[in-house]
Amino acid sequence: MIVRGVLIEDTFAEAFTMRVARLIITGRTPRWAREAALKLTGFATSVIGCKCEAGIERELAERDTPDGRPGVSVLLLTMDKESLPQRLIERVGQTVLTCPTTACFDGLPQAPDRLPVGKALRAFGDGFQASKVVGERRYWRLPVMEGEFLVEETFGMQKGVGGGNFLILAEDADAALEAAEAAVATIADQPGVILPFPGGVVRSGSKVGSKRYKRMIATTNDAYSPTLRAVTESQLPDGVNSVLEIVLDGVDGPAIESAMRVGIDAACRPGVKAITAGNYGGKLGPHHFHLRRIMNGGPATA
Amino acid sequence: MGSPLRIVNGRVYDPANGVNGVVRDVCVRDGKIVDDVPPDAKRIDATGLVVMPGGVDIHCHIAGPKVNLARKVQPETHRDDVQLRTRVTRSGTGGTVPSTFATGYRYATLGYTTAMEAAVPPLGARHTLEEFHDTPVIDKGFFVLVGNNLLLYRLLQEGRLEEFRHALAWWLTVTKAYAPKLVNPGGDEMWKGQRNANITALDDKIGAFDLTPRRVIAAFIEAANALGLPHPVHIHCNNLGHTGNVETTLETMRLAEGRRAHMAHIQFHSYGAVAGKSRSNPTSRARDIAEYVNTHPNISADVGAVMFGHSTSMTADAPLAYMLYRIAGGKWVNADTENESGCGIVPFTYQDQVYTNALQWAIGLELFLLSEDPWRMVFSTDHPNGGSFMTYPRLIRLLMDSEFRKQQMAQVNQKALDHTSLRDLQGREYSLYEIAIITRAGPARLLGLTAKGHLGVGADADITLYEEDDDKEKMFAAPRYVIKDGELIVEDHEFRDDHGGRVLHVAPAYDAKIEQVIEPFFEDYYTIRFANYAVDDRYLSHHQVIPTAAPAAAATPAGAARP
Amino acid sequence: MSLALTLHTVPTVPLEAEVLSPARLAGLSAPEAAKLTVVYGNQRADLGDFFKVGKGADGELHLTGDLARVKRVGMGMAEGRIVVHGSAGMHLGTGMTGGEIVVEGDAGDWVGSEMTGGRITVKGNAGHMVGSATRGSAVGVRGGEILIFGNVGNEAGSGMRRGLIAIGGDSGDFAGVNMLAGTIVVLGRLGWRTGAGMARGSIISMHPAELLPTFAYACTYSPLFLRLCLLHLGRLGLPVARSQVEGRYQRWCGDAVELNRGEVLLLDSAPGA
Repeated sequence: MIVRGVLIEDTFAEAFTMRVARLIITGRTPRWAREAALKLTGFATSVIGCKCEAGIERELAERDTPDGRPGVSVLLLTMDKESLPQRLIERVGQTVLTCPTTACFDGLPQAPDRLPVGKALRAFGDGFQASKVVGERRYWRLPVMEGEFLVEETFGMQKGVGGGNFLILAEDADAALEAAEAAVATIADQPGVILPFPGGVVRSGSKVGSKRYKRMIATTNDAYSPTLRAVTESQLPDGVNSVLEIVLDGVDGPAIESAMRVGIDAACRPGVKAITAGNYGGKLGPHHFHLRRIMNGGPATA
Repeated sequence: MGSPLRIVNGRVYDPANGVNGVVRDVCVRDGKIVDDVPPDAKRIDATGLVVMPGGVDIHCHIAGPKVNLARKVQPETHRDDVQLRTRVTRSGTGGTVPSTFATGYRYATLGYTTAMEAAVPPLGARHTLEEFHDTPVIDKGFFVLVGNNLLLYRLLQEGRLEEFRHALAWWLTVTKAYAPKLVNPGGDEMWKGQRNANITALDDKIGAFDLTPRRVIAAFIEAANALGLPHPVHIHCNNLGHTGNVETTLETMRLAEGRRAHMAHIQFHSYGAVAGKSRSNPTSRARDIAEYVNTHPNISADVGAVMFGHSTSMTADAPLAYMLYRIAGGKWVNADTENESGCGIVPFTYQDQVYTNALQWAIGLELFLLSEDPWRMVFSTDHPNGGSFMTYPRLIRLLMDSEFRKQQMAQVNQKALDHTSLRDLQGREYSLYEIAIITRAGPARLLGLTAKGHLGVGADADITLYEEDDDKEKMFAAPRYVIKDGELIVEDHEFRDDHGGRVLHVAPAYDAKIEQVIEPFFEDYYTIRFANYAVDDRYLSHHQVIPTAAPAAAATPAGAARP
Repeated sequence: MSLALTLHTVPTVPLEAEVLSPARLAGLSAPEAAKLTVVYGNQRADLGDFFKVGKGADGELHLTGDLARVKRVGMGMAEGRIVVHGSAGMHLGTGMTGGEIVVEGDAGDWVGSEMTGGRITVKGNAGHMVGSATRGSAVGVRGGEILIFGNVGNEAGSGMRRGLIAIGGDSGDFAGVNMLAGTIVVLGRLGWRTGAGMARGSIISMHPAELLPTFAYACTYSPLFLRLCLLHLGRLGLPVARSQVEGRYQRWCGDAVELNRGEVLLLDSAPGA
């Protein structure tokens, strides 16, 4: 399969089931909502080193937030359901509670699994906190020096998908970067997904384990590292001199799939040789996103 | 008084006459038990039914000013528990403090036909008698509060013991009371005088008086015995509800020195403390109390068991009410009755997971199960303090059914049970015969009511017929027949007739000269004139004077000297 | 329960008709419904003595007429919807746990007293004791929402523990007396002694008010929860202005006799606010 001269390889991205929460952070202005969200999603690229993966899902208009103020929607994922509440409590407590004008609401109110976030953070109020129920939802009001911080008592948790990906194989580093930027820009509008890596792009794709160091969980993906073409079992076609990866986490398979579709399409531009994806032979992750099926518009997962 | 009646083939439990589950007939005529009735007399087929005398409640709170305050302070309990009018009975409201009519009917639906209101200040006698007038079916009397009476204190302090005795007799007679009642003697006087003050030991000085509770209690025991009252002085000890109060209770019983005395709701007075700790949770000392009562035939007691759920604490012990309010935290009432008594009311809920509540529940059961003489350790929940009288059937089941008791024990705070001997008493179960003693024959005997609590010839025809059932709670909750003074009130679980009931009271003789002592005190300290104080007979419609055993010499007939 | 009942005989003394609730009428034919017992003064009567029972169309219970003396409509209801085309009497929706009642006209005293869930909307005025505790009870409304578009009498929300009472017009005296928690919004003016004895909870008004001396001023700010609340009320049709959503409010803490944990929020009308 060829899209605008770019080969779409007949392979699939292998992804994992994770647990996801969605946070709606609002502020007096879009800037302050974004400031909090950037801090909250900082240092959250991979569960391997950050214990969670997080990113901004999208910016929200006033009419789309619970308090009618500008906001940002954030997804945060962990591998297991036990650690998700702890990550939320740490990050909301350190980055939203502290940030001027902001408030923090649950973005998955229908999810039956409820995580006690505001319920845990309320202790910061030192007994001066107060709860308030509006509609069906309970909030905590924590008195702070600025005024009052409002945080929802519980946040919904649901199963999500982590590790959707595709690799952009390009003739040179400039072409790879341009294609990756184009893909990221397109995916930014897609609901239900985040790109947890810096600017949405990974240069250091990894493989599981190590060929040399027993303790390493993941090491460089030597099969796709152009400098190693001569010393390893390279997967790189001729003429490829740089590879960048787009990693996607999302609330479900269809969200990842549609984001991959628009992202791959945007990445198919001059200088790009091929698009491929990372997998582990299909044995580790339950979600398989077949690139060609996605690009044909059919159901991608098997 | 109703037509002759023959109750045929019932299994009769009449402990006062030694009848233990014998199938035989019981005959009734003119409101009394008789030997025989003509063959054409109405018959009730009691095959398969248990026949007992009507129940006698020796200690409850059902009428008078404090009971009415308790009704007024919790209107929310009325709307959820409405007693509907029937063809023969009147309407009312329930809750833990039912209205007057509902009180009478509900006692009757449990097979109770006599109840004693246990705390009425003399000034509240009229109110109490007015409510008695509207408390149907049951016979009733009241114990008059004399243990914090300032004039009696004054006479005692001055060593005028004979006048003290005449004054006590005067008070019993003019209020139409049944027995003298002491409540936390000295406590109200302390409470009135100083912030949060109370009596803590029998040798505390009572306020400004040169008196101690020890001297007051001993004087009343002495006087009540000398007056030959059918029921001796009825004592609510000092330190009710306090950790470690068992010492006070034992010391109070020792004060009787072989003379008769009745200890009220003794469960509330059986608490120990953890050794070596000045402030601790209470522990059970039921064994010590039971042993003392078992070995001292002059002493009697009612248990005052606690049952889980809603209750209303109502007491003349005003400082106790304040302590309970601080636990309950809701609404409460505290009041002073000039010169005579205090009063406190606190709606309260006993919870099975609360250590103290579970301990109190367990101690009540322990006292029953450790008692060796059911005639002197009789049934009560101190209604509505430890629980409503409507919980009696459940309490009976707890005593009769050790398997049920075990299940209930599993539900309660286990740390509390660790501080009791209840787990060691699993083998003990009450028989129907013993239940008949603690709920009927025993209380009647302790009250000196010779025509109550038994089915011998000449007894009042107050009879209850229960359907035998393995579930004793079910059995005792709804007798099939209730007969009061020979009239069929409840038939097939439904009211067939209404009935007034009588007021039972004493009228011990006293020297009329005592009024010359009392009257000046009234003119100085009371808000009511002496001439308006004594309750006249218009307040008694149906009534019965229970005679005293030894009328004092040189006394005038009761009431004759009223100006 | 798709029934339409029209009052044909206006009662001259109160008519207690707790049978006018979806569950009680469910599955009944019109003649069966007409046979239901109501209490008229101290007599028993049939529902049909006062109401003409017909088929409804849309699965709701519709009541038409001047029901000002018809008490206990929707009392204790758990689900379904009642629409009163006219006025309703006392104890409307008392103790209801769910469902919805809409009254196009006025309602009497005790609207939604001690309710635990559901929503009552009264387009006109309501009497005293809206969403209050019954006499003697410590706790009033435990959940649900009451919206009165007009004015209310005294003691709205007394003993309230949770939920929302919103009043489009003015409240009488003692709004939120002995309140334990929950929210009372009064778009109009407050009467005397608002929040007396309140332990927790919020009472909001859009007008200046003279508060009890046991309320202490804290600050002037824009509480975020109030935005949520007012936006919610706006969606339900109450006339909430943008300036009220964006506005600053004086926060008064009280009642001091209950440790100052409650609050009264008054829209700050000072220039520049």
